[in-house]
Amino acid sequence: MAATMKLSTLGYAASMLSTGLLDEQFQKLLLLQNKSDPNFVAETITLFCEDGEHTIGELTKRLDKQCVNFDEVAAFVHKLEGGSASVGAKRVKNTCIQFLEFCKEKSRDGCLKTLDTLRVVFYEVSGKFKDMLQLEQQQAEATK
Amino acid sequence: MTSYVEGSPVKALIVDDSAVETMVLTAMLRKFHCEITTAKNGKEAVQMFLEGKKFDIIFREKDMPVMSGPEAIEKIRALGEIHVKIVGVSVGDNAQEAFMRVGADEFLPKPMKLDVVGAIIQEIIKKKKKNNDTVQA
Repeated sequence: MAATMKLSTLGYAASMLSTGLLDEQFQKLLLLQNKSDPNFVAETITLFCEDGEHTIGELTKRLDKQCVNFDEVAAFVHKLEGGSASVGAKRVKNTCIQFLEFCKEKSRDGCLKTLDTLRVVFYEVSGKFKDMLQLEQQQAEATK
Repeated sequence: MTSYVEGSPVKALIVDDSAVETMVLTAMLRKFHCEITTAKNGKEAVQMFLEGKKFDIIFREKDMPVMSGPEAIEKIRALGEIHVKIVGVSVGDNAQEAFMRVGADEFLPKPMKLDVVGAIIQEIIKKKKKNNDTVQA
């Protein structure tokens, strides 16, 4: 994407980096894109957003039960932790780490509180990712 | 390990239930012209070996549904697949012991670094070439 992304979109990504929403892993992701795989970053972050939304839905369902299966909850959080680490979504990753601690302690209250935080940080980053992709698409159409 | 033909790609198997992480690792391995197969859990991976498929390297996540990474490694090694390089991967460092105990060759914390993955792939290419030279001699 470093080669094919528009400057304005890179600027958007830079602001996400400077506010701590993303870390240097996102820059590494950009470097994996090339001409033979020009949609790699767009596809990866789209998938991250879709998977993350599904995960938050599953976590909400599971924590809504009186008897919580913390192993199942931890499995979902771990998957989101991995995905967020891979795309550089720093705040989501760090929130997942906290979440896993509450799963280990089998604390439903702790998990519920952290889920609220996770929702906020996830939708913040996924919203910005979607804006970034939209900007990229608009730029691409404008230059056709 | 698959036999070496000059210029033949390294056959890599990615075992991970996360599509995002599979996508990122696939992009890395493509940089090194690997032939890539993916599986969503350890059971699918074991099934591939039972069907006679061969790989040079397996990247295996620890926590997966149906069958975990370490459990699948045990089964694969028990099938006599002692030459395939198995790299355990997980977020955080605390999965290392679980992997090494069951016969993984290496552990990499996620997110993986391109240069580290590249060095592992280069090592496999050298080893395959050496094995091929030994067989031909």
